[in-house]
Formats: sequence, structure tokens, C-alpha cells
Amino acid sequence: MLSIKNLEAGYGKVKVLHGISIDVPKGQVITLIGSNGAGKTTTMRAITGMIKPTAGEVTLAGEKIDGSESHTIARLGLAHSPEGRRVFTTMSVSDNLLLGAFPRFTGSRPKGDIKSDLERALEMFPRLKERRNQLAGTLSGGEQQMLAMARAVMLNPEIILLDEPSMGLAPILVEEVFRIISNLKSQGVTMLLVEQFAAAALNVADYGYVLENGKIATHGPASKLQDDPAVKAAYLGGSGH
Amino acid sequence: MKLKAQLPLLVAIVALFCLPLLIQNPYYIHLAETILIYTILLFGLDIVVGYVGQVSLGHAGLFGIGSYTAGVLFFHMGWPIWATIPASIVVTAIFGGILALPALKVVGPYLAMVTLAFGTIAQILINEMTWLTEGPLGIKLTRPELMGVPMDKAEYFWLVAGVMILALIAIDRFVKSQMGRAFEALRDSPVACDCMGVSVYRFKVIAFVISAGFAGLAGCLYAYSEQYISPNTYNNELAVLFLLGIIMGGRKSRLGAAIGAAIIVLLPKLLDDINLFRIVASVIAVVVAIGAVMALSKKVTTPRRVAIPLAGVVGLAAFSFWLDNISDWRLSIFGFMILLVVYYLQNGIVGFAKSFYQSIAGKTKTTRGDAVEVADDSVSFISTVANQNTGAELLKVDSVLMQFGGLKALNNVSLSIKRGTIHGLIGPNGSGKSTMMNVLTGIYVPTAGNVLYAGNSVVGKTSSDIALSGIARTFQNVQLFGEMTALQNIMVGLHHTFKSNILDIALHLPRYTKEEQEARARAMALLKFVGLDDLANEEARNLPYGKQRLLEIARALALDPELLLLDEPAAGLTAPDIKELLRIIRKIRDSGITFILIEHHMDVVMSVCDTVSVLDFGQKIAEGKPAEVQADEKVIHAYLGA
Amino acid sequence: MEILAQILSSGIAVGMIYAVIAFGFQLTFATSGTLNFGQGEALMLGALVGLTCVDTLGMNYWLMIPVVCVFGMLQGGLVELIGVRPAIKIKSEFGWIMSTIALGIIFKNVAENIWGRDALPFPSPLSTDPINFLGANIMPMEILVVIGALVMMLLVEFFNRKTIYGKAVVATANDRDAAGLMGINTSLVITFSYALSSLTAAFAGILIAPLTLTGATMGGALGLKAFAVAIIGGLSSGLGIIVGGLILGIVETATGFYISTGYKDVPGLILLLLVLAYKPSGLFGKSAIKKV
Repeated sequence: MLSIKNLEAGYGKVKVLHGISIDVPKGQVITLIGSNGAGKTTTMRAITGMIKPTAGEVTLAGEKIDGSESHTIARLGLAHSPEGRRVFTTMSVSDNLLLGAFPRFTGSRPKGDIKSDLERALEMFPRLKERRNQLAGTLSGGEQQMLAMARAVMLNPEIILLDEPSMGLAPILVEEVFRIISNLKSQGVTMLLVEQFAAAALNVADYGYVLENGKIATHGPASKLQDDPAVKAAYLGGSGH
Repeated sequence: MKLKAQLPLLVAIVALFCLPLLIQNPYYIHLAETILIYTILLFGLDIVVGYVGQVSLGHAGLFGIGSYTAGVLFFHMGWPIWATIPASIVVTAIFGGILALPALKVVGPYLAMVTLAFGTIAQILINEMTWLTEGPLGIKLTRPELMGVPMDKAEYFWLVAGVMILALIAIDRFVKSQMGRAFEALRDSPVACDCMGVSVYRFKVIAFVISAGFAGLAGCLYAYSEQYISPNTYNNELAVLFLLGIIMGGRKSRLGAAIGAAIIVLLPKLLDDINLFRIVASVIAVVVAIGAVMALSKKVTTPRRVAIPLAGVVGLAAFSFWLDNISDWRLSIFGFMILLVVYYLQNGIVGFAKSFYQSIAGKTKTTRGDAVEVADDSVSFISTVANQNTGAELLKVDSVLMQFGGLKALNNVSLSIKRGTIHGLIGPNGSGKSTMMNVLTGIYVPTAGNVLYAGNSVVGKTSSDIALSGIARTFQNVQLFGEMTALQNIMVGLHHTFKSNILDIALHLPRYTKEEQEARARAMALLKFVGLDDLANEEARNLPYGKQRLLEIARALALDPELLLLDEPAAGLTAPDIKELLRIIRKIRDSGITFILIEHHMDVVMSVCDTVSVLDFGQKIAEGKPAEVQADEKVIHAYLGA
Repeated sequence: MEILAQILSSGIAVGMIYAVIAFGFQLTFATSGTLNFGQGEALMLGALVGLTCVDTLGMNYWLMIPVVCVFGMLQGGLVELIGVRPAIKIKSEFGWIMSTIALGIIFKNVAENIWGRDALPFPSPLSTDPINFLGANIMPMEILVVIGALVMMLLVEFFNRKTIYGKAVVATANDRDAAGLMGINTSLVITFSYALSSLTAAFAGILIAPLTLTGATMGGALGLKAFAVAIIGGLSSGLGIIVGGLILGIVETATGFYISTGYKDVPGLILLLLVLAYKPSGLFGKSAIKKV
């Protein structure tokens, strides 16, 4: 579904990614873990067009998307729940969800039944249902995370990219988030999950990649990585090992 | 400046003074006079536009205030020119200060609007206050008298030329002094400027005041030159014309100001004569075409990039042949010239000429400034901290709460930083570490709680005052003064060592020259300490990332701090860079400076910190020696997860 | 009492015009962080094009309105294309400030050459007999101005709240990057916001033209004062702008009456300076939290 080959990217003079390759097969949940500053969010941004990669290739369902604009990539069916949620704070919950389906309104994606999808999304995220007309800016961190994920689902996407969904959330909300991710997985949704909470991520994923200083240090089936001592070290260790 | 470099300037000055002797036609002398007067104004405008980097549409208004001060004092009180010149400068400077007040907190388009409003009000007031200014009737002035006899055309020209030379020297000295550096720092990073002890508010006012002074001087000379002033001259169109002049001539350049002044004076005259305009337009089109061909053949540009400017000048020449009268289209031509300059000539004619020459001649010159000095090892770059009472409490953070709306970025956090130690502050993203830095340096005012530095509360103090009292910092996203050289960046940090004022600078009095010299030596020593002395004249934005971070540390040291706050100094650094960083940190600590260090790189934290505090969700969850903290269950949980 | 009523009624009409122009400033600033220093010229061109339609082409005033609106949209799109887009690309604030100023100057000069430098009368579509209300003489056209301005702003609000494209515009204003992730072409949204902004200015032009004289110079002071209103009013709701516009309109009319018409423009400008001096935040959104 999503294929990344030798991706290099950075910000101005600072090169963050030094050639990484990741493969996300259809129907699977792949996780990208690593400590702060390893380059996880940079990877997400480079895939979704928020920054332009300096080298390498990204293909979505066979189509080349590296170098494309965010909106083009979204219209091809890639939904992104970004780091920091980035919900539209001055708009209501339901408006946020409707905007998630924007390409369906304009015809870039198959229309389907947007209204009933909206109701289904609210069923899947009960906290949002109670607050459907509330301004997104007044929601708590956890609720905003739910909203960002529901918004991504509204696209009826080919793949969802989740960037640090657990960040800044209390443990009980983290559990809820991962329950929802599990739920989506059981519905066959393809996902690329970037996480700081390695344990939870590896629990729900099929396969994992460990990012260290802009390079893939190790990768393998999630169950194998869970027992790997090097993974734990990469976490609280940072560089220099 | 060496004599060789000064030679062309001296020749130009001599030629200038010979002008009225060689050309007898008073019309041309008057034109040259107007160019000189506008040059003085553009010197002043350049401070705001070139150095502080803002758009000012108010300088026609200031120009008018200068002219009318002279006019009113002449008309109502019969003052001679020797009195009206200083009066015009002072009065206009005061108005410049008034203009600066609403402009203090704003930048960009808001600042431009403030200046536009000011200029509009100035013109309205001049027009309406007829009891003072005679309103639309205007004021007539007679030639100033020299020893009882009115000056003739040549004598007044020499006066104007002389004043212009003095203005040139003054402005050159201002912009090369600590004042000019403060203006540029203001432009490049207001936050860093404040945190280096250079108050943004204060220097904005100073910039506008000095700029207005020059405008007032120009206005006064203009009044006597035209011998008649009326309100409708000082309109918004003139203000835009001044902007066009300085941008087209070249910002941050005296020659640019002169070229710009010449363009805005001569261009309308050129446009009045359609035949002359046709000739000039055709010549320009041919020159640009030749230049484009040369540049293309040397492969320094692409066809796409030359297409539009080339089409523009050729189109202009064609347009001029089609019309009978081009002076009606004067303003459109100015408008197109602004568009051209904004997109294709960002550095003005002077800048363009420089880079064109360099690309053709094959030189690459990325450095600026005078010759590099060799660092003198005997100059101590770090003043050893007076109070070496290691272990005593230097900074106390007392139950600080920092709330943004509903979000508690810092929730009841207390810290005790001991003198002479390196205190680490770690935690996951969003835990409040940078927020703490910003509270300590006065960028945020805490919602509750107190911060005591050496026993005194710093809550509510400005960042600039806090910096000057001994707390220096670096930033997570490097906040260097990008367009200034490495050396100049450090010199801004040394601003606090300068006690000299405008007069000292203008006259190059010993107090100023001594301070400047000492500051340079100290700055070079600091550069050498961080290993950047060979890059002293390199623009900060061109330095490699790792070196930029070291430069920021050196700049912070220039403040002679007791407490140094480093925000993720190792971020993005390679392993050898990190080793160098640690060496530098230890050396600084040895001279008695206390550190607070935010870091994610655990090996840095482990190897250099004496104590570590851990934040999570805005609260302190652990504190102690690095090894203890690393093994702490709560800390592992916060970083790793369940 | 009659004087007060007169000042109020004239002031309200003028104030609504400022509000409509200010609305245009808000639109572009919200979506792109830029504004059109030539906004006043957009109004002027709308008025003059409208005059040509009505005078030379003999069009009916009401039919002319959509024509001028289309013209306004095209003019706005042109400003964005030439003046703003290249500047956003090179991230130069200086760039779009100077280019929109330059375009304003060019438009004014072109207008001077096409329509001449004299102020021209604009035929009023409504009767020029004033209606007497509480002792004030109110021109029917003034009532039309107030109604027209309100209708225009309500239409845009409706668009923003009820249509998906309007929501896309609001989303772009709220968070440009996230809007892109939703599949919204944010560059197009910005072009559209400029088109809409000039449309409202042109519309304001044909509303006010029958009340004053139409000419190449009518845009200048209007633009600056509308900026003041935009700042005083703030971004979040059109209501703030309407309140700001009314305050300014009334204060200005009063100044013109009690002091002198020459000083009429001064209160607005001083108000602008005061607001920027004391509370520059709180305009165009809440005070931004500095992120260092």
C-alpha cells in the first residue's frame, strides 16, 4: 500500500532522515518507534507533503507521491492524524469530521454516504458524540485525539497515518486510544503508527521499525521486537551507544 | 578605512564641490541639490527599512515636519538658518519618537499602517492648522544669509553638499557602531535581542528618532532650496517614492541611498520628456538583454528567470513608443518599478551590481566586514564569576504555575539551583521544559508562584533586564542574528559593555573607540574559545548547524552571566560535535558559571550534570543524581510507557 | 436632537461602508496572513466600473451589481497572483506589503487615465429626496447602504458556516497545514479569499458611490480607515467590525460637523494609533503565545 525507499529529509540545513525504507502492506498495522529527536515526525511530514523530501521515493498504491502537495496526497486516500492533533479549534466537532471527508464532497474520492459515515464515526467515538456541536478548541487533549482520528477515518482512506496519538495523554486515555486503534485494525484498516510508547504500539502492530538518529536501526515482527533488549535501550538511551 | 579604499570617495567629494563651478545652468544645480537633500533623507529612512527591516510610509510626513519647522520659524520669528537647522532636526526627532510609540508592539503590516496613518495625519495637520502653517497657501522662504548677504545658488549648494557629507559620516558611524548592530539584531530576532540585554522597545524608539532627525534635516534644507513649501508636497505618494528610492538603490548602503535619490529625482523629469524617455528605455532594454545573454552563456541563470525582467524592460520601451505622453503614467511606472525591485532586485542596484560582478568574475564572497583579527590569547573571554560560593542557592523556582487558557504547562513546579552546578532538566515532549526556560527569562509571566534569582524576584521583569542581571540563554530553535556575521552576533551580546552615546559615536570620541576595540578583542577571544575564530566574518545563517549552536553559546557568554540556560544544546549534533560541546560546557563551569541544561540526549545528561530534575505533564516527578533518576520507575514509565 | 439624529444616521451609513471594506481585510488576513494595501483602490475600481456600466452602457443599477462583483473577483484574483503569491512563496512579508502598495498605485493611475482626475457624479438608483426621520434627513440610498452591507456580510457568513467550501476556507484560516491534510487546496483558498475580498470592496464602492462623488482618489483614505475598523473590531465575528465601523462612522461625522471637514479623517487615524499602541493583540485573533 505505502512504500518508502531511501527517504532523506530535513529542515533547512539540518538533515534529519538519512535514508530510511519502510513498507506498509495493505491491511496491516506497521509501527515506527524511536526516542525523541529520532525523526519519527519528520518521516510522517515527509510522507504527507508537509515537508518535501530531499531524496528517496514514496509510493502510495503504486503512485509516486514524494514531492507532491499535501492536498493531492490526501485526495489519493492517505489520511493523516498529525502530531499535536491539529483539530480546527474554531469549528464544531461535526464540522471537523465533515472536513475530514472534504475530498468526498468535491468528487476526488468516491462519495458514498457521508451523513451515515458521520453517524457511524460518532458511534465509534462515544465521547465525541456527546459533544458533536461543541467547538473543537474546548475539548480536552484526549477528546481532541479522538477527533483527529475520527476525522482521518471520515476520508474512507486507503491508509491512516497516526502521529504520536498518545502524546500528552493520561494513561487511561492512552488505553482508550489504543483500543480504538485495535478496533480499526480488526476492520482491516491499513495504518502506519508512529509512537513514543513503544510497548503499546508493539502490542497492536503487526510489524515494527525502530528509528534511531534518522536511520532504521532494526526492524521485525512486532512480537519479536517486544522482547528485544536493544529496543528498550534505544528508548531511554538516545544516541551514543 | 585604508586610503586606497577611500580614494574613489574623495574623488567623488571633490567632483561634487566642483559641480557649481563647471555647470552654470541653475536648473541642473537645483536638481543636484535636490538629489543631495533626498540622499540625506534616505540615509535616515535606511535605518528603519534597511537595518530595522520595516516598511515606513511616514517619512514624507517627517520630511514635511522638518520643512515646516524651518518654514514656521522663519516666517513667524525670522530665525536664521543656523538656528532652524538644529530646530528642524530636534522637532522632527521628537515626532519620530511619538511615531515610535504606537509602533512599539507591532511589526510588519501593522507597523506600516501606523506609519501610513502618521504620515496622513501629519499632512492633514499641516494643511488645516493655517494659523501656524498658512495651510494650502504655503510659506515662502528667502535664501539664507551668510554674513548679512543672501547666499547665491553655488553657495547654498556647497552648504547642502557639506551637510550631506557630515550626514554621510554620521550615519556611517552609527550603523557600524553598537547602535547599528542593535538595529539589525532587532530585525533578525527580537526575542533573542531582548534576551541579550538589548531592549527591543528602546532601540525601536532610538531608530525612529534618529531616522526622523535625518528626515528633519533634509526637510529644512529642502525648504530653503525650493524657497516655497506647501502641504500637498508631503503626501503618501512621496512616501512611497522614498521607499522605492531606498529599495531600488540598495538597502544598508550609502551609495544605494545616493543612487536611489538620484533615481527618484531624475525619473519624473525623464518621464516628462517623451523622446528622452524612449531613448533611455531602449538603452536599458538593450543593456539588460546583453546582460541576460552574458549571464545565460556563463550559466549563472536560467532562461525562465530572465524571461520576466527582460519582457518587462522591452515591453516598457515598446510602450513608450506607443504613447505620446508618458508623464500621466508616471505613477504606474513607479508601481511597476516597485514590483520589479521587490521580486528581482531585492538587494537593490548596489547589491545586484555586486553579485553580478562576482558571478561574472567568478568570485564567491560570502564574508562581510573588515579584516579578520587574530584572537589575543591573553584576553580572558570569561570573567570569572565573583561569587564562587559553590553549593549556595542561586535560583529558586517557587511553586510556579504557568497556565495558558485551560492548559497548565507548568503545574506547581519548584526547583532549587545551586551555584557552580550543572542542573539538568529532562522530560518527554510537552512536559514544560522550554516553558520553564521562557518563564525564567521573562518571556512568559507565570500565572502564579515566584522565581527568585540571588534573592530577588524576577517575575514581571523584562527579558532585557533579566539578561542584564546575569541570566543568559540559548534557544531550542537557534535564534541567531542570521544576516549578521558571527563576530557581530557576539558583539551584540557585548552590548552591555558599551556606555558611549550618539555623540561619542558620531564624533568617534575616545570613549567609543576604546569600547569598540575592547569589545572586538573580547568577541574574537570568545569565538576562539568555541573554535569559530576563522569564521568570524561569515554570516551566521551560512554556518553549519553544529557551529550555529556553539555560536549561540558564545553569544550568551558575552553577557557575563552567572547563570546560563541551555535549551537542547546537543540537538542535531553529531557525536564529535557533542564531545566538543561537553568540553566547552565543563570549561565554562570551571570559571564558576552555573548551568540549567535541557536535554534529551541521556549520555550528555549523565556525563555532565550534577543534579537532574524530571518534568512530565508540567509537574516535577523526580529529582536527584543522574544515575538515580535514570533508574527511577516513574521516569522510565514517563518516557517508555506502561 | 435633530443634529444628533443627523449625525447618527449619516455616521451609520459611512460606518457600514467601513465595515464592509474591513471585512475584506479580515478575509485575506485570516486565510493567508497577508492583506491588500490597495483595498481602497479595489473599492474605487468597483465604483468606476459601475459608473461606466450605468452611464456609458446604460445598464440598470441592479443589473450592474453582479457585473461589478465579477469584476471585483477578477481584480482580487489578479492582485493575489501578481502581488501576494510570489511573496508568500519567498516568505517575504516586505514583498507583499510593497507589491500590494505598488498595485494600488498602478490601479489608481490607470483609473486616472481612463476616467480622468475629476470626481464624477454617480446616478442614484433610488430617489434623492431625503426621508425625514426624527428630525434627520436620511437619503434612501443611505438605507440601501446599510441593508446592502448587512446582506453582503450575512451572505459570506452563511457561506462560511453552511457550505463545505466555506468550511474549507475557515479551516484554512484556522490551520493551513492541517487543512492541506484534509485535501483542501490551500493556495486556491487564498486566491479565492482575495477574490472575495475585492468583491466586497467593489460592492461597497457601488453602494457608496451615489452618496459621494466617484473618482480615482476615493479609495485612499477609505482603505486606511477600514483597516482601523478591522483592527478595532477583531477577527472572530463580523459583529466586532460592525460595531467598530459604526463607532468610527459616527465619531467622524461628528468631528466633521463640530470641528471642520478638513479634520474629518483624523479621529479614525488617531483611533488606529491608539489601538495599536495599547492593545495590538486582541485584533485578528487572540494574543499569540510566543513559541520559542
